[in-house]
Formats: sequence, C-alpha cells, structure tokens
Amino acid sequence: MRRRPGISGLQTAAAARDQYRLLGENVAKIRTDLMKEQLVTFRSQLEEFARKHKNDIRKNPAFRSQFHEMCAKVGVDPLASNKGFWAELLGIGDFYYELGVQIVEICLATRSHNGGLINLQELCTLLCQRRKTARDSVSEDDCLRAISKLKALGSGFEVISVGKKKLVRSVPTELNKDHNAILELAQAHGYVTVEEVEKQLLWSSGRAVDTLETLLKEGLSMIDDGHRDGKRRYWFPCVASASAALGTEALKT
Amino acid sequence: MVGYRHHQRKKTGDEMQKVGDFKLPHFFNYPPYFTLQPVRDTREKQVQLWKELILDYCRSQKIFIIGLDEDFPLFTNPVIERTLSHEAREVFLSALVSEGRAEWIDKGHKKCLILWLRIQDWADCILNFVKENGFEDGVMTVEEIRSGIESRGTELAGIDRTVLMRALRLLEQKGKATIFKGTSADDEGVKFSA
Repeated sequence: MRRRPGISGLQTAAAARDQYRLLGENVAKIRTDLMKEQLVTFRSQLEEFARKHKNDIRKNPAFRSQFHEMCAKVGVDPLASNKGFWAELLGIGDFYYELGVQIVEICLATRSHNGGLINLQELCTLLCQRRKTARDSVSEDDCLRAISKLKALGSGFEVISVGKKKLVRSVPTELNKDHNAILELAQAHGYVTVEEVEKQLLWSSGRAVDTLETLLKEGLSMIDDGHRDGKRRYWFPCVASASAALGTEALKT
Repeated sequence: MVGYRHHQRKKTGDEMQKVGDFKLPHFFNYPPYFTLQPVRDTREKQVQLWKELILDYCRSQKIFIIGLDEDFPLFTNPVIERTLSHEAREVFLSALVSEGRAEWIDKGHKKCLILWLRIQDWADCILNFVKENGFEDGVMTVEEIRSGIESRGTELAGIDRTVLMRALRLLEQKGKATIFKGTSADDEGVKFSA
C-alpha cells in the first residue's frame, strides 16, 4: 500500500533540509576559515620575505622587479597606497612617488627640445644622472612603474611603443598610426626626408608632407635645411641619441 | 676620488667637440639647430641655446666683436657640415641685442659688440681691480688697464677699448673716476677716487 504524503512526512523533509543547510554552512565556514588562515600565513610569509630582503628590494632593481612580479601574481599591489603596510615596511611607495615627480620634472625640462616625447632609455639615463646614484639603481622597469602611477593623476603620461623603442609621452598629443610609422622610420638615422617617407612607407607625397608638418607643429620634429643635397630633413629629438646630453643641459638651466 | 674625477674629465673630453679649450655643447652637433626653426616654441628654445653659447664662447675667448659675414668658429660646424645662414646669425645676435647683452655697431647689422658683461658689470669689475691693487686715488692709463701687468689673468686683460671707455665714463658719472688726456695723443689717463 502506498503511503500518502502526510504532515509528518513534510516536516521530516523540511527538517532534513535544514540539517543539510546547516551542515553545508559549517563546511563552508570551515573552508573559509582555513583559507583565511592560509592567507594570513601567506601574507606573513610574504611580509617576512619582504622584511628579510628589504635592502635588496630597495637597492637592486632586478630583485625589485621580480618582487613586483611575485606580488602581482598573488594579487598584492605594494604600491596601491602610501599608507598601507607595504609602504610602511619597505618605503617603496615613496620611492616610486619620488621617481614620478622626477620623471615629470625631466619631461617638462626637455619638452621644448623634444616636444614632450622622450625615449624611455634616455629618460632613465637622465633620471640616474639627476639622482646622482649608481647607474643601475633605477631600471627602466622602475620608470614604467612610476609612470603607471602617474596615470592616476590623469596627466596624460603614457608609454608608447614605436618600433623597438619605448617612448614616454607627456603631452596630450594623440599619435596616430601615420605618426608612429614616421617615428619608427626615423629611428634608423634620427631623421627622415619626405622622399624617404614616400618610398619606404609607400605614401602619397601629400600624406607624407601633412604628417611631417603635424609632427613639426607639435614640436616633436625639427627641420634641417643645411645638408649639401638640399633636401629638407626632419629630425626627431625623441629618437636621436644626441638629445640625451642635451636634456642634461636643459636640466641645469 | 682624484682618479675618479680624472676619469670623468677624460670621458667628457672624448665625447665633446672643442674649439681651443672651449667645450662645445651637444646641441652644436645636432644639425637642425643650424636651421632656423619655424615653430615658435622650438625656435625659442633654439634661440635660447644659441644666445648662451655665444656669450659663453665670447667670454672664454675674450671676443668682443663678431662680424656677421666673417669666419666665426661658432657659425660653422665642419663635423656635421652645417653653417648658420646670415638670417640665423642675425636672429641670434638680435636676440642678444634685445636683452642688452649685445649692440649693433653699424646700421647695416654687419658687426656686433658682445657684452658678456654689461657695462655696469665692467665698471664693478674695474672698481674691484682698483681696490685689489691699491690704486685708489692713483692714476693709470687706459692702456695699462687693458694690458698692464696688474690686469694680467683678470677679466680686464685684453678688454675692448670702447667697452672699457664706456665703463670708465660710467664711473666718471658716479664720481668714482676722472678721465683726462694723457701725455701721448692716443692714450688717456684715469684717476680713481674711491
């Protein structure tokens, strides 16, 4: 005989559900606690590591870069705030803020020369000269990190890749594909001619002239009419090596 | 430390181009700086760099007059085969003139007097010289100031005669010197009164 569902049956089922839920909650809680515990352990390990290698992190750019990578992998950003534990422990927050300020200063000082576009390598060299520290104490990686923090200010600092080089842009100029193509072409000799642009990039003469004139107006390029062949050369201080030293002079005055 | 500094100097010496014992700045080797730049901001920077270079160079070489159409070491860089156009020379010098650091000698702007020290500074320089050598209330000829033993090695050695006379006249106005005709026709004497 089939039992019909009765009140007590429904109650039993409800009770069982409650039991399951409770059990489930318990399990979840235990897991969360365990995870929390693990995280605490991990954090303390990371802190211990950081404390132990504090000097290495501060002084050795390669080590610093690897430490950052490790932190990024576990979702910790030691630069997120200057008041956090990390900053207090390592003081690296200050380090990058200081770098940031110096980068802004260098970009401003060299702007009239390079139009607000500077080779990352050159920026790094100038930064080291300015800090008067050993040449390897600030790496390009550090510069990139400091610049990424500057973005928070909305000041338009950006790192762009042109060919093999990384350029740091400190003016709000938008560089389009055409501009980038020319900057890349200019990396070979530091300059281009209209003729070269037409030939190498297979552009019409109008397109080449227009693009070069725009770059000129933006202050990114300088003209040179002094060559024997009489062809106008468009030089780009942001890719030329001669400008590194020029930047230092600009900083002195 | 000494070794380190020596090394530094050697390194910069290798990198930089020189005219005599004057170290030329790096922009001197960057070709576009020899073409007048059409864009305002770039031009301003260019003019600024050239102004500084001209003053520094003239001071170090004791050059007082630049002829625009003459060979002048700064106007041409043989290494990069660039020469300043006449227009560019005039623009850079005019910029100095407008700041009171140079003066056109002729109306045609062919010759320019470079005042790396202003007349007032030259006057101060003379007063210092007078004090250091105890010439207060003494008499000197203009020629002595320019080429005497006492002025050797000082900024006054070889000073342009016109510049010197103007500085002396300024001192005369202030009552610190009296200029009078000397014994020979082409020389004048100065009596200082400190």
